[in-house]
Amino acid sequence: MSPSERISGADRLNHRKRIRIQLRRDWILYVILFPTLLYFFLFRVLPIFNMRLAFYTYKAKALWEWAGLKYFNQIFSTPQFKTILGNTLVISLMKYILLFPFFVLFAILLSEMRMQRCRKAVQIISYLPHFLGWVVIAGIWINILSFEGAFSELLSYFGAAKQNHMTNKGEIRWILMISEGWRSLGWDSIIYFTTIIGISPALYEAADIDGASRFQVIRYIVLPALLAPMSTMFILNLGYFMSAGFDQVLNFSNNAVQNNIDILDTYIYRIGIQKGQYSLASAVGLFKGVVGMILVLLTHVISKRLTGEGVW
Amino acid sequence: MKKASYQVKRKYTPGQFILTGIMLLLALTMLVPLLNIIANSFSDPKLSPYMSGLRVIPAGFSLLNYQITLSNTTIMPALWNSVKITVIGVALNILLTTTAAYVLTRPGLMFKKGIMVFLIIMMLFDPGTVPEYLTIKDIGLLGSQWSVILVTAVSVYYLIIMMRYFQAVPQEICESARIDGAGHMRLLFSIIIPLAKAGIATITMFYAVVRWNEYFRAGIYITKMSQTTLQVVLRQYVVNNDTATMVGDRNIRNYVNIVDFNALKNATIVIAMVPILLIYPFVLKYYTKDVLAGGVKG
Repeated sequence: MSPSERISGADRLNHRKRIRIQLRRDWILYVILFPTLLYFFLFRVLPIFNMRLAFYTYKAKALWEWAGLKYFNQIFSTPQFKTILGNTLVISLMKYILLFPFFVLFAILLSEMRMQRCRKAVQIISYLPHFLGWVVIAGIWINILSFEGAFSELLSYFGAAKQNHMTNKGEIRWILMISEGWRSLGWDSIIYFTTIIGISPALYEAADIDGASRFQVIRYIVLPALLAPMSTMFILNLGYFMSAGFDQVLNFSNNAVQNNIDILDTYIYRIGIQKGQYSLASAVGLFKGVVGMILVLLTHVISKRLTGEGVW
Repeated sequence: MKKASYQVKRKYTPGQFILTGIMLLLALTMLVPLLNIIANSFSDPKLSPYMSGLRVIPAGFSLLNYQITLSNTTIMPALWNSVKITVIGVALNILLTTTAAYVLTRPGLMFKKGIMVFLIIMMLFDPGTVPEYLTIKDIGLLGSQWSVILVTAVSVYYLIIMMRYFQAVPQEICESARIDGAGHMRLLFSIIIPLAKAGIATITMFYAVVRWNEYFRAGIYITKMSQTTLQVVLRQYVVNNDTATMVGDRNIRNYVNIVDFNALKNATIVIAMVPILLIYPFVLKYYTKDVLAGGVKG
């Protein structure tokens, strides 16, 4: 007799009985859980349901009108859209790929520090910016990069003219990348740091006996151990690729550089919330979400093939 | 014995000095801008406009910036609203997260797998700004502070971390309490919560930081200026460079000739930073404790 056959009949009756007994005994558990589920239904499921607006024309007081792919056609035929998509991809590339090795490097360097007090000080200071809100960080960076700010002052020692770097079109994307690094360097490298300090001492001893140099230890012991968290973080980063860090961009933006750092999310905010073109903004949002999800799934599969490490 | 430097771990090699120097310099680039803003906000308004961006001690000393900021008719209500929304919001966060984590860590719970899959989909799937905005509008919360409080009531990510803390409580304790006749509520509040205190403290801090830093939803969902939060006002000052709001205030008009607007902005930034700085030692104590102590390998 196969297991599936055994479940039918008298056992199924028992199963139902067990459910009833558990419900009678533990009904309070479901009562306790109810508010949380209600929250997810109201504030998460309903918005997901509202995403269908991308295919409809919004009506405030009546049923939405079916519009088919009208809004998608409208987006893809806007010349502005290409620029915005390009900006999003370039900024993400800088923040999530170009910056990526520095977190690993920071963790390795931190783990190499032998003066414990100095190391602790570096850790304590470098984790702090992560907790500051983007508005505060924008305030700090506007201050650093202003005409009279620290950056202009430092450059002036090397003979450069003072200027407001926040309004410099050529520099603003680098500013986004570097300020992102400034905020996350400490915090986002914790995962690598804990991996490094978790490496078995026996491995180091063995390397020692073999007479390995410091760099050989990093190359053959530390980096292989970091491969797993690196691929996980990389794939998670790709999940943000179509977002490119909305909060940062919104707060670092100003009239002079807006066209250079206008991304999908700032575009959605402007046309959707500020101008009230709900359908158009929803269509951009849906496009963004679908592409983002495909990116994550694709990288997950590739990574699983290559390294055996995925997100799940 | 030169090769055995790993076990000996000599501290004071030239390489170590260079490494430590570079790392400390890097840390300084993070610390100096913060200290500069604090120093600037406490400076004498006559000297602060000419202060170097690298300076970390106030130029002269004056509390005028704080006097003006804290008597400003937009800042004080905003500060109060921020505190209110953070406190009520975090209380709601913790109430829902602990109860849900308790239920979801009960052994043999029915539909557990289904609920977890649902929650993880909720975590991965972001419906986006406009669909959420329309939902808030439809529910009738637009314009109310409850919109901001309720819309981020549970974070699946923190819920899963909380579940891990709860799972660390030994099963035998729970079982023996059940046998002794303790109900679910009693088990949760008298046994699990006290035993998972450190975990709850950590999650509370993270929720509080997120709540305090919230500016976007508060900016679009709370429509009245008198109801809005500090981060929204700060954004108006700092990012949108709205000195009109600052000048328009009767308080500032009295001081308009002596005040340094930049230092005034910095004072607002410092006020927005204070709660984070207050909470930070606890983050270090509870959350990064192991990371800070770690690395005594070999």
